[in-house]
Amino acid sequence: MSLEEQQSDEPAELESGVSRGDELADLLGDLVVGREEHMNAPGLVIRPDEVQDALFKLRDEAGFDHLSCVTAQEYEDRYESIYHLTKFDDRTDEVSVVVPTSKDNPVSQSAEPVFRTADWHEREAYDLVGIQYEDHPDLRRILLPDTWQGHPLGLDYDQDRPQIATLREHANPLEEDHRAAGDSNTMYINIGPHHPATHGVLHVETVVDGEQVVDLDADIGYLHRCEEQMCQQGTYRHQIMPYPDRWDYISAGLLNEWAYARTAEDLADIDVPEYAQIIRTMGAELCRIASHMIALGTFALDVYGDFTAIFMYAMRDREIVQNILEDLTGQRMMFNYFRLGGVVWDLPEPREEFFEKVRDFLDGLPQALEEYHDMITSNEILQARTVGTGVLPPEVAKSYGATGPVARGSGIDYDLRRDDSYGYYDELDWDVVVEDGCDNFSRLLVRMREVEESAKIIQQCVDLLEDWPEDERNIQANVPRTLKPEEDTEIYRAVEGAKGELGIYIRADGTDKPARFKIRSPCFSNLQTLPEMSEGEYIPDMIASLGSLDIVLGEVDR
Amino acid sequence: MSLQAVLPDTISGLLGLEGVLGDVVGGLVGAFLVANIMLIMTAFAGPWAKRKITAAFGDRIAVNRIGPFGLLTIVTDAVRLLSKELIVPEGVDRPAWDLAPMVIPFSALLGFAVIPMGNGIQLADPETGLAFAFAAASIASLGIVMTGYASNNKFSLIGALRAVAANIAYEIPLVITAASVVIFAGSLRMSEIVAVQAEPLLSVAGVTIPTWFAFVNPFAFALFVIANLAEVGRNPFDIPEAPTEIVAGYQTEYSSVYFVLIYLGEFIHIFLGGAIAATLFLGGPAGPVLPGFVWFTIKIWAFFLFTQWARSAVPRLRVDQFLEIGWKGMLVLSFANLVLTAIIVGVIA
Amino acid sequence: MIGILKGMAVTLKHALDGQTFTVEYPETAPEVSPRFRGVHKFSQERCIWCRQCENVCPNDTIQIVQDDKRNGEQYNLHIGQCIYCRLCEEVCPVDAILLTQNFEFTADTKNDFVYNKEQLKNVPWYKDIDPLNSRNPDRNAWVGEGEGEVDYQ
Ligand code: SF4
Ligand code: SF4
Repeated sequence: MSLEEQQSDEPAELESGVSRGDELADLLGDLVVGREEHMNAPGLVIRPDEVQDALFKLRDEAGFDHLSCVTAQEYEDRYESIYHLTKFDDRTDEVSVVVPTSKDNPVSQSAEPVFRTADWHEREAYDLVGIQYEDHPDLRRILLPDTWQGHPLGLDYDQDRPQIATLREHANPLEEDHRAAGDSNTMYINIGPHHPATHGVLHVETVVDGEQVVDLDADIGYLHRCEEQMCQQGTYRHQIMPYPDRWDYISAGLLNEWAYARTAEDLADIDVPEYAQIIRTMGAELCRIASHMIALGTFALDVYGDFTAIFMYAMRDREIVQNILEDLTGQRMMFNYFRLGGVVWDLPEPREEFFEKVRDFLDGLPQALEEYHDMITSNEILQARTVGTGVLPPEVAKSYGATGPVARGSGIDYDLRRDDSYGYYDELDWDVVVEDGCDNFSRLLVRMREVEESAKIIQQCVDLLEDWPEDERNIQANVPRTLKPEEDTEIYRAVEGAKGELGIYIRADGTDKPARFKIRSPCFSNLQTLPEMSEGEYIPDMIASLGSLDIVLGEVDR
Repeated sequence: MSLQAVLPDTISGLLGLEGVLGDVVGGLVGAFLVANIMLIMTAFAGPWAKRKITAAFGDRIAVNRIGPFGLLTIVTDAVRLLSKELIVPEGVDRPAWDLAPMVIPFSALLGFAVIPMGNGIQLADPETGLAFAFAAASIASLGIVMTGYASNNKFSLIGALRAVAANIAYEIPLVITAASVVIFAGSLRMSEIVAVQAEPLLSVAGVTIPTWFAFVNPFAFALFVIANLAEVGRNPFDIPEAPTEIVAGYQTEYSSVYFVLIYLGEFIHIFLGGAIAATLFLGGPAGPVLPGFVWFTIKIWAFFLFTQWARSAVPRLRVDQFLEIGWKGMLVLSFANLVLTAIIVGVIA
Repeated sequence: MIGILKGMAVTLKHALDGQTFTVEYPETAPEVSPRFRGVHKFSQERCIWCRQCENVCPNDTIQIVQDDKRNGEQYNLHIGQCIYCRLCEEVCPVDAILLTQNFEFTADTKNDFVYNKEQLKNVPWYKDIDPLNSRNPDRNAWVGEGEGEVDYQ
């Protein structure tokens, strides 16, 4: 640990960030051809043909082992890829590696050999922005169909041009068993996009040998809704906030809203009143419980194979949470409750009734969890199915940028609520849940135990809110009607969403709308680990692993 | 020839017919009756009871809109399913694809021919009754293989292969466990197996407990029930269907009438499993106060209920674990049971 | 084996206690929170045609047509496209557009969901509750203007 890292309280961060930048620039020496300042981290500009050298150095010598996100964007005069690096051990130590490429030859070296998570991130950058990555193992489109013309986030892209792809032009995986050719022992099957266990429209191209998975490729993009572009067309102040609810739409709304709120508040330098932060924290943890309940229910569904009792019980408990959230926010899933600088509503009147409702839920939770343990974790068959299957070793998880319960189930002690604290979390008493099993069972356990921790947090928030003096209940900071952050400020901030690190990169261009809005979806990175977990395993284990990842395709595809 | 006159003889007697004509008419009418009894039961079980039971386990209400307790759902469901378009996918192997949905339910129905249902309802009582029942039940596997092979669908194929593997792995323990009962009873004839169980085992405080083999040898009963669950493909052994893994297994491509037939076959199969278990271990139609047929119905419904209960709370095994339990566990245990029974019976007799 | 039996015991307990969590809709009309956001209700008497709602709407759901003297002529709202974010209600200075708790609406085609101002006016209150009061208290907190000049248009 260097000196700078230890003194990482808010105001000192910027100062130390500067010296951190110098330090890292020294480390990289000639590789750095320029410097930039992002609000969250120093930016080092690297030549496009030296990306791997620089990243290897940063990873191996400076310990930046987490490639959180890759942002690609097009400027008037250049393309740019930004690698947002940080550390699993010290989340506040960040650096952005900026790789500009020329307009007429947008070729940049791939980071895939250094961080395997770069595989999909760079494919997305290629798909949407049009940067080519040299050395990339498999540079195909990822979100859009193979036949798509143009790169929609590029500046000269024609939105009105119709995209007509006939079935003939489209690679049709049903046509022939192309992967089995010449090897008669394997069979190619399409698991999804219409399959009962894919949690949405996911298409897993699977090659099986008997019942064992030999090769597997997740084909995503069926639910791509241009969320990034929609946010680029909305005003900071009002119009972006409704959309994060729709990324991870399975009850995680407030957690997602917080990702945007945090990023934009840091960007525009808005302080949030303490009272509002407590409400936010409470709401967010309620969402986490609801979201984990669904994860639990659907995982049971995948392993049990039917809409059995457990799924119903999980839905029932989630329903209680949703009723509370409905009272608080006015909506059951698409909350739109946070505002920049606070929340839109104070707790509903009469407050006592609301507190009682929350308390009743918290009181009933231990018993409900006990039932789940009786039905799920202590069940021998379930143990036989999940212990030791879908193994994801910690190094692999790190390399793929896995976060959230998936990482914590692999023994990685990483939780943004504690490591890069925001809201009211650092004032409260709770623990980060970590399990060392690295298998499906651990991931299940992590979620079940996190529900308990969330309950603890909510309990404390309710106590605080109850005693809060009436005249200090300030739910909103005074925020101007139109927000226009300064030109060329760039920021990448993340929060601990239900599924992991949910990050947002924003570049402001002086108008009231973002010039680039990039979403780092935890599900996107987590889903990348699926082949690692399932190759060589049986189909049922692959399904169980997929369930244990708890992906939401709305967030994967955005 | 048998302890009780079988149903066809009773019918032809009632009609005053004799000779070949009596046999034919009696047989046909009897078969018609028995088949309809079973079809009515499955009609209740499939669209209505299953939903109600699942809902009860999951704190829900379930069908209650049409008719009292939602019972008329059975009618509407029948109309709905029968009026749907029958989708024939490209490339299916036609005769086999069409035959399979018939083979599956009829093989299960066939098994009921030798089951004594009480009150003289039994179509035939051959000396090899038990063997016949098992043989008939196993024909369903043939139908499943046909569906899997003919559907031209990989999920169907996997499902069918799983069904065959399951059948081989669990049919042997099933039959071997049944054989231990046969050693007790000294006969394969169903009516005799039932008759033997009528004798009192012991009397406690004026209540006589009969020699139902479930009481005599509870271990064998447990083995039989487990093997039977696997045989009829219910949780935790529902791997041939395995909805979350292989979509719907062997029945993936079937719709409309064909789907109804396969679905029907599955339920009749469960009831047949229950019927064999009841006959072998629970004294067949025997029971106090109520008439035999009612007791018989209660027993097979109890088995059905049990399958649904297991479905609500027991996860599915993985296919390799499933086969492992079959070959390494059930097979060994069932043989042990058989040998032990043989020794005990040999020593006592 | 114990674990399996425990699980079966739990489900049996639930089956036997006869409690259900689901309700029979529509016989049992669900309780809806006062803050719940359903179909809009529009009041032409109140509206001052300032067009703020139209401007703030994130997905162009509201369409206002004015004559050359800035008098309102049409107010159309596509309730099938709306994402029920309530921003329009929040910015409206005179409570002319309000989201009722009414979530029960049907139509044969998508186009039937384009409501004009008459249809919007006739949207019924859910269970006859006007939710305005339960929402009002914090309006001022939210409509705060910041330091700079107010720019309404
Ligand atoms: S609720 Fe939101 S989306 Fe709907 S009309 Fe109002 S501002 Fe537009
Ligand atoms: S904001 Fe209110 S007053 Fe202004 S146009 Fe809209 S409905 Fe009318």
